[in-house]
Amino acid sequence: MFICVQKGKGRAIMKQEIEIHLKRHGDITIFDIQGDVTVFSEPFFNNAYTNANVEGMSKILLKFYENAYINSGGIAVLIQLLAETKKNQQQISIAGLSPHFQKIFNMVGISKFAKIYNTVEEAINDM
Amino acid sequence: MHILSSCYLFKGLSKSQLLCLSATTKEIQIQKSELLMKEGQQAEELFILKEGAVELLTQVEDGFELPIAMLRNPGECTGTSSLVAPYVYNLNSRCAADSKLLVINKTALKKLMLEDHELGCIVMKNLAQHLLDRLKETRQELKIHFKTIFRSTQS
Repeated sequence: MFICVQKGKGRAIMKQEIEIHLKRHGDITIFDIQGDVTVFSEPFFNNAYTNANVEGMSKILLKFYENAYINSGGIAVLIQLLAETKKNQQQISIAGLSPHFQKIFNMVGISKFAKIYNTVEEAINDM
Repeated sequence: MHILSSCYLFKGLSKSQLLCLSATTKEIQIQKSELLMKEGQQAEELFILKEGAVELLTQVEDGFELPIAMLRNPGECTGTSSLVAPYVYNLNSRCAADSKLLVINKTALKKLMLEDHELGCIVMKNLAQHLLDRLKETRQELKIHFKTIFRSTQS
């Protein structure tokens, strides 16, 4: 089910667009993230999270695409989101990342707070 | 010349200035995974992407590099440390795909900037604007980290 789209354009070093589509799959809210994640993505993640919370959610899946780029600012945004979900006792997982970013997420400790799956199907079956 | 004119550093240069600049450039091909520049190394060259993709990273620890940006659009550049003292690269740049780049030697560009002060002024103004944008972006990143820390101490 389609709920909302957050779309925005960043500035400075990376000028990629980001779109966050919210979808529901059973009791899982999927954040379908298209584009690069940078500091400029923060309001879009915040809005998406607020909108999804209005609908009520206990399980969140961040769905990335193979070509997604997440820089240090984007990692900060994701850590902020992870902290919010922890505070609200929500389960959060991540799927679709390239091996490069799976490695980086392990190194910065994101994988301690969110389980990382290769595919959305794997994540949905396990959550 | 089209690639040069789409580089933020050279925005505002006249056609004749771009022609002078293009005479100082050479084209190189770099294979995927190859390192273009290394953090801490003497910055001798400026690189402008023509084709492919280049990832910018900063070394945090041995074996751990933090992603800073991915250059994917023709005209995006790296190696601006070659324009500012102490001329030391402050990032690693690695090709994320087989790539073609235009290279401008620091000394050749400096000579051009000294010969044509207007060109020099435009390039440095564009660089200053870019660095200011990067500073704002970095501040924003810090704010996000501190917001996360602050909120976690409030709960």
